[in-house]
Amino acid sequence: EYPESYKDNTNKEKLILAYVENYRRQYVHLFRDRKPLFLNPLNECGIEKFVCTTLRPTLLSYKALYHWQGCAEFVADYLTMKQLEPPQELPMCLFSPSTILKRQLGNCFDFSNILCSLLLGAGYDAYVVSGYATKEICLADESRQICPLLQPKKEVLKEAEKPEPRKYTVKPPRDLRSKFIIKMEARRKKEAEEEEKKKQQEEEERIAELEKPPPDALYGLRIHAWVLVRGGKREVPEDFFIEPFTGQSYPPSSPSFLGIESVWNSTNYWANMQNCASGCKDMSFDLMDTEKWEYMLAGSDQTQIEIPDAEEELYDLDDDEKENEDEKHLDMPATWVLPICVTKNQYEMRCPQGKKTTLYKKAKLEKYANYLLKDGLVTRLSVYDNNELTDLKRVQESFENREDKLTTRVHQGGLITEDFVEGRPRSLQQHVYKASNPGPEAERTMTFFHKARNKLRVDGLCKREETPTEMTEHFVNRDDFLFLRHVLFGKRQKKVAPATAEGPPRPILKITEKFHRNDALSASKDVEEQIFIIHEDKIQITYHREDPNITASTRDFYKPPNAEEKGGSLQWSNDMTNTFQVNPHGSPAKNLAIYENLLQLIQTEQKSIQAVRSSEEEVKEILMDRQKEELASELAISVYDTERNEKAKKHRKELERLAMEEKLRRQEMEMDYLAPFLAQIGNPDKISKTQAFKLKEDCLADLKQRLIDKANLIQLRFEKETSELHKRQQDYQQKQVAMTKEDEEQYFNYCSEAMFRIHILELRLNRHKQMAPHKYMQLEQKLRQDPRLSVYF
Amino acid sequence: MSRLYDTVEPSVIDDEMLRKAVEEQGPKEEAGKIAKQEGVDYCDVLSLRLDFRNILKVDNLWQFTKLTKLQMDNNIIEKIEGMDALVNLRWLDMSFNNIEMIEGLDKLTKLEDLTLFNNRITRLENMDSLPNLHVLSVGNNKIDQLDNLIYLRRFPNLRTLNLTGNPVCDDQGYKLFAVAYLSHLVYLDFRLIDEDTRQKAHSLYENKLGELMHNEKQAEVAIEAEKKAAQELLKHKDAYVEHLNSSVLFESMYKEDPEGMKLALLPGLQDMLKDFQDKFVEVCMKIFEFGMKEYEKRCKEMREFNTCIQDAEAANKKQAVTVIDAFEEYKKKLFTELLVTSDAEVQERKMNEYHEGVNETWDKLMGLEMQLVDQLEETIKDFERNMTDLMSQLVEYIQGLITQVRDLENSHNEKLLEMCMTVLEKVVKNEMDEELPDDLRMLFVDKDTIVNAIGASHDVHLIKIDNREDEIVTRSGAWLSGHMQKIHADECARNRARVVEITNYIDHLRDEIDTQFMP
Repeated sequence: EYPESYKDNTNKEKLILAYVENYRRQYVHLFRDRKPLFLNPLNECGIEKFVCTTLRPTLLSYKALYHWQGCAEFVADYLTMKQLEPPQELPMCLFSPSTILKRQLGNCFDFSNILCSLLLGAGYDAYVVSGYATKEICLADESRQICPLLQPKKEVLKEAEKPEPRKYTVKPPRDLRSKFIIKMEARRKKEAEEEEKKKQQEEEERIAELEKPPPDALYGLRIHAWVLVRGGKREVPEDFFIEPFTGQSYPPSSPSFLGIESVWNSTNYWANMQNCASGCKDMSFDLMDTEKWEYMLAGSDQTQIEIPDAEEELYDLDDDEKENEDEKHLDMPATWVLPICVTKNQYEMRCPQGKKTTLYKKAKLEKYANYLLKDGLVTRLSVYDNNELTDLKRVQESFENREDKLTTRVHQGGLITEDFVEGRPRSLQQHVYKASNPGPEAERTMTFFHKARNKLRVDGLCKREETPTEMTEHFVNRDDFLFLRHVLFGKRQKKVAPATAEGPPRPILKITEKFHRNDALSASKDVEEQIFIIHEDKIQITYHREDPNITASTRDFYKPPNAEEKGGSLQWSNDMTNTFQVNPHGSPAKNLAIYENLLQLIQTEQKSIQAVRSSEEEVKEILMDRQKEELASELAISVYDTERNEKAKKHRKELERLAMEEKLRRQEMEMDYLAPFLAQIGNPDKISKTQAFKLKEDCLADLKQRLIDKANLIQLRFEKETSELHKRQQDYQQKQVAMTKEDEEQYFNYCSEAMFRIHILELRLNRHKQMAPHKYMQLEQKLRQDPRLSVYF
Repeated sequence: MSRLYDTVEPSVIDDEMLRKAVEEQGPKEEAGKIAKQEGVDYCDVLSLRLDFRNILKVDNLWQFTKLTKLQMDNNIIEKIEGMDALVNLRWLDMSFNNIEMIEGLDKLTKLEDLTLFNNRITRLENMDSLPNLHVLSVGNNKIDQLDNLIYLRRFPNLRTLNLTGNPVCDDQGYKLFAVAYLSHLVYLDFRLIDEDTRQKAHSLYENKLGELMHNEKQAEVAIEAEKKAAQELLKHKDAYVEHLNSSVLFESMYKEDPEGMKLALLPGLQDMLKDFQDKFVEVCMKIFEFGMKEYEKRCKEMREFNTCIQDAEAANKKQAVTVIDAFEEYKKKLFTELLVTSDAEVQERKMNEYHEGVNETWDKLMGLEMQLVDQLEETIKDFERNMTDLMSQLVEYIQGLITQVRDLENSHNEKLLEMCMTVLEKVVKNEMDEELPDDLRMLFVDKDTIVNAIGASHDVHLIKIDNREDEIVTRSGAWLSGHMQKIHADECARNRARVVEITNYIDHLRDEIDTQFMP
């Protein structure tokens, strides 16, 4: 079951174990009151192995595993933790990473061992640490920690840039308020704020006190193993710890880690010589400092970079130097463990069975593997209001590979927020709606993807907000400069007749449209805002402000009722409009222009109403689509995913089948035409000349015979058909008069069929006649070239 | 219509004809009725058709300033004229007339479509001011030279050209020539130019075209350089130091100085003169450099001032706009409330409230305006003071430098005098080695003459220098006072306009409630 290296020690390993034993003895001798070191535990075969050789630096071929975050998360997810038993003693065994990965179960040393191997493989300066930690860390109890997904992001406060004082900046108007009063006001405010702050702090302290973990009887004795990453390599600025059970990083000053006995990686082993009375806060991780760290192997050079299997050339180059050093010091023997390998399937399943639930402070995080759940759910984070996890506040679900491009869905306070990635048919980006009323004409906000330069939607819509009585649409980059349309709906009139499925659309009371400035027009002609008050038959226009002006021209129209009806021309009267012109000396607009303006506005109104209706329609369609998608909940499968992609699989199978058929056909083609004749003469090993000639003769004769037979057969059938037809024809001519119509029809049918058959037979015969000599020649040719006979021809 | 006009009486474009045409071609139905009621101003008409009217002379169109389309085909017009007022014209049709020459289109810079079909034109010319020309139709004319096509190269937007029925079309190479030389053309003589023809034409005329293009490019570069030089000179003029970076001033001193020119021929004077010129030009260069430096400084100061003023105005406008917006909001609310209440007392109260609000808005707006006026006044004063300082610095420094120039002239004069005295002595004693030119010799008859001559030359020089100095001083002073006056006037106008605007707005507010809710 296990390879040889598991069951036995090589000479070098034996040597190093002797070294280890020596080191251990010295250590025990010098530090009688210290706990034993974790040096040579037994492996799965009961063989003593030095811990450093159990590490195997490996870089796996997954992108996420190139960074420490990805490695830590993978290890934390992939393995199930098992606590040490008893918690204050070192384990007896340390299994190889491959065994642990197979079992997906391990203690903190197993976790650290694998994580450190991966980190070393990725080029980090990583070490396994054996030491002491708090109960929460040892048991991977995160229920007192804030979920990392919920940690408030640090907001970078940008200080508003103060405009540089210019030489001619006008002086601000004089402040006539009393300075004293302002000062007193500020002081009062400050005091109140401080009071508030103090209260808040007290409250926080109180809560912290309440939430403190209960005192632990084994505090400071619980053994734990974790990983130390030292700064320097891979652009890591500072030393930090990674807790392997959770994959979280901690600074060395963290109060959770209480002490360190020893650290090691695949190159060397160091025992800690520093006092751990105050935890790891003031500890130095300069392993070259022999005052603080006692190394085991003198020759092991820290700066040497470990790249497994890829350094042979390098070794060749400076062989001489190496040898010199080898003579002086013992170096680390090669690792005894099998390579770490994680298949793609295993990697994607992550957690055992693909599921994992973690409890945090007031939150629960559930993780699922991709494609595990039918609806594509990957994580679900439930946030609660209390520590007992009963009062649900917020649920945040993330999805992957959804055909409908849904990425997250958040339930909070009765509102559901759905986020989508780019690529949906209507460029929907976000959809916020009420959980209690998901239907149309309810409160909702839809955000659509839009870009600064080119719009993704033709109509430039970027946001649509709705309430039962209002709808606001925001646009960007429209050619007509429209950027906002606000609609006010009225109540539906109750109908006596039974309502149809849809019911009449909501009556529109008012449409407000706002426009950006169109530089091609003069400001007094460029509409800034047009309001259609439909139930009052009124249109209000506000124009843009001309540059130095502070007032804007306005014009109101009072339409006669039913003005939009086609056919009838609108009668003009002077009281239909009301104008305010900014420039009192400018010539007033002509009635003709105003009249034309009105006609045009009436058309615009109709268009706007249509736009509103189509918007409503679109909302309905989107909702319908969403419903359908939610029911289907299909998952998208990449074309490169050969495992999951059914179509690709089928295609591949088909190709395989075709290849198989082709192979069979070829085999048939190469059928041995000499075989029966060779069998007749008893399959001799060597064929004499006479035999060869005879074989050839026989073979050709046989073919000839067969061809003749075939020709005869066709001829026979042909004649049979012809005579039959002839007979029937004669028959028909005799009985023609007495025949019923049905019989006649039958006869004609027969005739045409027979004629067809005869024709086919004739064709086949002719072709056979043509082909026969060719076939004969071909066989002769082949026989001439046949390796068995070719000697004689 | 190229019929002989002595058979039919030609008609004249008069008010009646125009009015009729405008009415006929104007709006119809209800709109037409309105138009008839209030009358259409000629300046609002966008398109006009005056065809088949036997018009001989284009006239009386000066009112149609907004006209974009004018059709005057099938008349007996002989000369393109009287259209200088139609600056917005984009579409002009004068086909089937008796025009003999293209002219009178200089003001129609927006013209895109020009049709002169069936006339008597012999040359394509006088269209340099039509850069937007898109369609040109000059078929059935008397153009007979291929060179006319080269004239059309100056229209980068020309896409459609019609020349059918001209003698030039009988030329074998006409089509290829046109295609080659007018590479932007898409349609020629009613037909789309296909790729084949284009390539053929291109290969045929490649060499000639290359040469032509090279020449055109060179001409363009030359024009560009000229423009640049002119701009530079303008800048120098603004700095009051034009031509001071060369020896122009020095040369001008001798140009109007006959004695000086004569004296320059004195032996040994050449070197001295050269030395004098070098020193002179050096000081001039100093003046020039200083002037330019000061000019840059002034420009920067002005930019700074302008941006600050703009900022202040924008900020003030923003404040005023918020005040107005707030009031408009209030007004809207109040009006809807007023519409629903029928209680007279409530209405009365609301109306009073409204009027108070209007007064308050007026106060606020006027307050803001007054504040801005104060702020701007102060800033303008600052600016004026600084500018005056800058100017006086400039003038003082330049005057100092000009004094140096004058000193140079004086010392040169003294040297010259000395030299002349020795020469005079020699001449008197007849010890002169070299022969002097006759007119120079005339000066050396006696001491008075030569002294007078030198004095006259010196005076001329001094006057030149003084003039230049005066010019700088007066011009800079005039610019400053003019500029400041303009700033003050602008500010004044701005203030007036704003006050008028506010008053107008407030009046409108007061009227509005009265008209809407008059009992």
